[in-house]
Amino acid sequence: MKVTVISIPVRDQEKALQFYTQKLGFLKKKDTPLDGGNRWLTLVSKEAQDGPELLLEPAPNHFEPSKVFQDALMEAGIPWTQFDVESVDAEYERLTQLGVEFSVKPTTMGTVKIAVFNDTCGNNIQIVEEL
Amino acid sequence: MVHLEGPPELLIILPEDHGMTFYEKELLRINAVIYKNHGQIDAIIAVRNYIDSNYASDLNLDVLSKIQCISKYHLLRLFKKYYGLTPRQYLIDKRITHAKKHLENGMSVTETCFAVGFESLGSFSALFKSKTGKSPFQFRKAQFSRSKFNSES
Repeated sequence: MKVTVISIPVRDQEKALQFYTQKLGFLKKKDTPLDGGNRWLTLVSKEAQDGPELLLEPAPNHFEPSKVFQDALMEAGIPWTQFDVESVDAEYERLTQLGVEFSVKPTTMGTVKIAVFNDTCGNNIQIVEEL
Repeated sequence: MVHLEGPPELLIILPEDHGMTFYEKELLRINAVIYKNHGQIDAIIAVRNYIDSNYASDLNLDVLSKIQCISKYHLLRLFKKYYGLTPRQYLIDKRITHAKKHLENGMSVTETCFAVGFESLGSFSALFKSKTGKSPFQFRKAQFSRSKFNSES
């Protein structure tokens, strides 16, 4: 078995696509129309385009428990998904300039540095740098 | 209607957890419980940085334990505690990552093997295959055909 696709629930696939590509810098990999205006929409990181794909999954709009869970995570400030970065401080600066809102500023946790931002699609996302 | 007993000056207004989320409170708690030994953490981070800059040389626990004057067993335990894998596993991953870069840039398999610090082609090939699913020869070939395809397209 291989890890090839990881899902992230989003409220609006098009909005998520814009945020994840234009602000975070991911690249669109697959975009297939599905029933009811939904899409099979995946992204890859620019530095690892043959790496795992991130699936922008519209579950919260169609499956109530998914929405409830996502809301509860948002309320508690918990990031369910995290991405590795070279420098948390540099990304914090860059994303803040782009208007991205952080709920946790760069913080050292032992051997890693982390920060948490709002992806505007219902999720807290954590960025991590190994020290 | 609820009547609060007692004079108003005895009412204590609790700040709403200073507006912190559950997650922020957990980060503070974890930092205080798990990551309180800053000296130890700095020493282990220094060991990791040393491995990052010297992955191609003959690294072993003896060498690493001398850098920070930590006994070998203690170093092994602490490294695993803070990074989740042993220094040896970390070193191998580092070497494989660099090997992939070299192979992508067209370096030969034999050159790559020694450039990242392995001493035998056999052990390098076997490790590379077990970590990436391809032998270094197959990996290099795949990169080469991909770049050729890209330049033609």
